[in-house]
Amino acid sequence: MKRLVKSCAALAVSLTLAQFTSVSARAAEHVTFMLDWLPAGDKAAIYLGVEKGLFAAEGIDVSIRSGRGSSDVVTKLATGVADFGTGGLAALLQAKAADAVPVKAVMSLYTLQPDAIFTTTDAGIDSLKDLVGKTVATATFSSSNVSWPLVLKANGVNPDSIKLLKVDPGALAPMLASGQVAATINWVTVAPAFAGPLKEVNKSFKALAWSNYGFDGYGLSVFASDRMLAERPETARKFLKAYARATQMANDDPMAAAKALKAVVPEVDVNTAAEQWKASIPLMVNDIAKKDGPGAFEPKLLATTWKWVAEAQNLPIEKLDPETAVSRDFLK
Amino acid sequence: MPGVRRARLAALLDRYAPPLAFVALVLVWEGATRLLKIPSFLLPAPSAIVQALVATPLQVWAGHAFATLRVALMGYALAIVVSVPLAMAFASSRLLSRTLYPILVVVQSTPIVAVAPIIVVTLGASDLPRVVITFLITFFPIVVSTVAGLLATPEELIELSRSLRAGRAREMLHVRLPFALPYVFSALKIAITLSVIGAVVAEFVAAEQGLGFFIAFSTSYFKIPAAFAGLGVLVAISLILFRLVAFVQKRLAPWSLPKSER
Repeated sequence: MKRLVKSCAALAVSLTLAQFTSVSARAAEHVTFMLDWLPAGDKAAIYLGVEKGLFAAEGIDVSIRSGRGSSDVVTKLATGVADFGTGGLAALLQAKAADAVPVKAVMSLYTLQPDAIFTTTDAGIDSLKDLVGKTVATATFSSSNVSWPLVLKANGVNPDSIKLLKVDPGALAPMLASGQVAATINWVTVAPAFAGPLKEVNKSFKALAWSNYGFDGYGLSVFASDRMLAERPETARKFLKAYARATQMANDDPMAAAKALKAVVPEVDVNTAAEQWKASIPLMVNDIAKKDGPGAFEPKLLATTWKWVAEAQNLPIEKLDPETAVSRDFLK
Repeated sequence: MPGVRRARLAALLDRYAPPLAFVALVLVWEGATRLLKIPSFLLPAPSAIVQALVATPLQVWAGHAFATLRVALMGYALAIVVSVPLAMAFASSRLLSRTLYPILVVVQSTPIVAVAPIIVVTLGASDLPRVVITFLITFFPIVVSTVAGLLATPEELIELSRSLRAGRAREMLHVRLPFALPYVFSALKIAITLSVIGAVVAEFVAAEQGLGFFIAFSTSYFKIPAAFAGLGVLVAISLILFRLVAFVQKRLAPWSLPKSER
């Protein structure tokens, strides 16, 4: 009899616990967030937000997945594989113009374009014009490749006068360090990872940011699927609030962000990751962001972003109203 | 006496030649990278690879290896479950074989690397697309080899089974399939290494864990020695799995091995 009572009591406790667990599981809304590339220091904010419980405080449980480029993120959001993601706005505008994908940019992160020429101090490259006759390597699927000829033209350089090699992203630093190419095209946030290979051959790093050569527009932004925004608008609002807070916290303490990343992705080198986040801060904290407010899509700069994409893709400017690619409703 | 000595030397050489060749290769590699001062981002020295291997915590290796192994084995198991009955169906029905075989050839001829991103988009971000990619890379050799084995059964054995009034199912299970076992195991050995390749291909396209992810991650940070270390672990896993299949063959069907290997 005693055993029966004990069993019944144990069953009752189990059921109560199961009930409690399922209630709390229901309480936390689950969202999937897709990075535009593999985990790295410049993507550390989301990890910090999760570690510090910023998303949990908003009742959101976040799964982080790594993407394979901005276009991949747009595709995964459009097909429902992920709810939110980060990517270059140009990739979304391009996809919108081609296919009217059900994805919107809901928060700008980089108000300066992150694209840059990476070279070494001994290469004698001080401006884009110095690249004439040289070989430049770029990642095969980099979004920078689209704008590259236009940036050159805008600076009076004939794109045909520079040999462009398209290679795997992992080959860029080794090719630059070994002198096989005079320069590479990368986002400035990648710069700290170039330190190792360049140090090994006693070369010094140098970057020419395209934003200093008239390449204006929004870069990395937060995207969301139309389905997410239509079906769970409140969650979207809360998610962006927590994400903005996480970004601020990472700006205040890049090492904490790097450590949060390291806790989830142990292969990461904390110092490199912290440097990568630091390299991304000027893209987010600058005069444009101060003027328009964090996360904003200012209509004129948005139109400029689309102008670059339309020109690069040989599309008529009226092919897309860039306003249809963004939603400002969820930052409120 | 010199003959005995020569025979002993030959036996020793036969036993130790493979590991000695491997050690010699590693020494030449190490020497060349040091003498020619080849930077680690071009070709890391074996010592740098070992350093990277040791520097990465064991639980990190275990996590990645388990993720790859899980996908590889699930894809491999699915390939066996689908391929062997399919091969039996092909061997039993000429119509089925003529109808479906060309489709299988088309599937096999399609570069999976090109289709993998579409599979991931279609099937979502779980293990499923990775298992399907592994299955697609793995199943074809098993089907082809098993069909070849089933059809290679000597006619007199088939006639004997028919004279004993064995049904078609019995003929397949008790005569053709045992005869085909050497073919099946050959295919299973090839397929197990292919399954590891399949899992890595899938991880390159979409994954948060696994040795393929680790290699892609390391190269994105330009940590080439770490990427080579990942490659080494992958090769070790492939070899272990290959040996496991060979072990299973030896235990379950020793007669299917050549006499020298039993």
